[in-house]
Amino acid sequence: MSKVGIKSYSYCLNHAPETGSHYGGTPWEASHSGGKEQEYLNALPQHLQSYDHALHYAPNQTYIGGISYEEFEAIPAPWVDKPLPDEKSKRYGKFGELMPEDEFLGLISACDEFELVWLEKSFAESVSKKLAEDPVITEAIVKRVVRPKNMQELADIEKEVAERDALPLYHDNKVVGCVRMGHPTDHCLTAHVLMENLAGKASGVLALLHLLKNSGLNPLDLDFVIECSEEGAGDVGQRAGGNFAKAIAEVAGCTNASGCDVRGFCAGPVNAMINAAAQVASGARKNIAVVAGGSIPKLYMNSRDHVKKNLLALEDCVGSFAVLLVPDDGTMPVMRLDVLGKHTVGAGGAPQAVTSALTFEPLQTAGLTFSDVDRFAPELQNHEITEPAGAGNVPLANIKMIAALAVMKKAIEKPAMMDFIKKHGTIGYAHTQGHIPAGVPFIGPACELIKEGKIKRAMIIGKGSLFLARLTNLADGASFLIEAPEPVQAQAASVSKDDIKAMILEALSEIAGKLG
Amino acid sequence: MGKLAGKKLLLLGERDGVPGPAMEACLKDSGAEIIFSATECFV
Repeated sequence: MSKVGIKSYSYCLNHAPETGSHYGGTPWEASHSGGKEQEYLNALPQHLQSYDHALHYAPNQTYIGGISYEEFEAIPAPWVDKPLPDEKSKRYGKFGELMPEDEFLGLISACDEFELVWLEKSFAESVSKKLAEDPVITEAIVKRVVRPKNMQELADIEKEVAERDALPLYHDNKVVGCVRMGHPTDHCLTAHVLMENLAGKASGVLALLHLLKNSGLNPLDLDFVIECSEEGAGDVGQRAGGNFAKAIAEVAGCTNASGCDVRGFCAGPVNAMINAAAQVASGARKNIAVVAGGSIPKLYMNSRDHVKKNLLALEDCVGSFAVLLVPDDGTMPVMRLDVLGKHTVGAGGAPQAVTSALTFEPLQTAGLTFSDVDRFAPELQNHEITEPAGAGNVPLANIKMIAALAVMKKAIEKPAMMDFIKKHGTIGYAHTQGHIPAGVPFIGPACELIKEGKIKRAMIIGKGSLFLARLTNLADGASFLIEAPEPVQAQAASVSKDDIKAMILEALSEIAGKLG
Repeated sequence: MGKLAGKKLLLLGERDGVPGPAMEACLKDSGAEIIFSATECFV
């Protein structure tokens, strides 16, 4: 079997402007600069986006499935000054939801197993009631928010922050809780590291819960989870030992599942999809949920430039996604395992070499060409966030490179390049959450377009910045194809040698009986 | 050898643009001294 079915998918956002403006990587670094960046820090709060504005923001609604990709494509950027109408700006979309920050803090607390998160009592009670209204949040999760050991008086929370290095959690500019350290000397278990990991876990839980709802799968029937974020959970002896996957499955009530983590910076999700698909195709697992939570450090990563240019700082959502892979039965879009892009060690880092390894080479192996792919989805960062910061329009840069390669390989004529870019490219709408925009946001829209008969094939491409870990100068990349299903031929019932022997023995026994 | 001969170069690459090692390869025979080369990711 070289194909697996894509049964379902979910995409969620957790609005986190207050958490981000304190603990996002850039604000955190600025607040520890000895006062050098005070002007930026003072200005940042005036550039934050309200929850209501985030709900009406077209890229956010596209991510959670509040509007279709085609609707989004029809809205020219800039999107920040074109709020969607109220009827298209709901909390819940076809794929998932955009959760407000107070409820996110409640969900983080619910994901804590070690009394690391304390919420102020009245705040915890308030958010537990709100979470109870969320259609995917289980009663068990709601009860966890109000566990006595996770609810404390404000004075105790403030004391923990002042005396024991706990990190305060904020809502409406007030302290409403804290994340405590996990160990007094272990730098892998500081309150800061644990807050990032618990937020990643909680956002992953939300995506998995929506996946279960969207697919109709009983949580008890989920076989395996592969988690593919960029966080590292461990202690001083094993800095990123893991395992987010099983921790997420536990909170989501997937008692019969196990799981493991796959890492590769932004190439992690595509590699996780390939890993999961191979296990399902081989029959090793009956189904697998590929899941990733999001990143607190990435919040407001480019906000220095947004503030400097007097723009809204839009990097305020923790992203997450989940995809359910099952055996191909001919009824749902499929992921092909015989057409995989692989950026080898020896391929080099030149853009042309990378693009060739991820697009041309796998397509050529399958007897396909560039024009056979209706949509390429290579890194889907929202360019309204990246362009003011000087990082350009990443998806556009990637599709331009693909188009140029198509010309070089004589798959298209040079005058047709711009048309190819428009027709076969995708516009980015994902938050700059590292692994989250890495091609995978388009799995859902691609499957929807395939189901509607509007496209036949899409290529998902992820690229990972391995060099950031200072182990190698290499980058990585991986890609795969999603296609329309084809009828699966009924497999002839197979009969083994042992079955035949048993049938002969039975027949001989019957004859012997009659002779006797 | 061109106009970069004898110059000292700082190369800052970008993952989705031109990475540092690719620039190093292009400038190998330029006669310039590459004193720093790195690739960064801004997304």
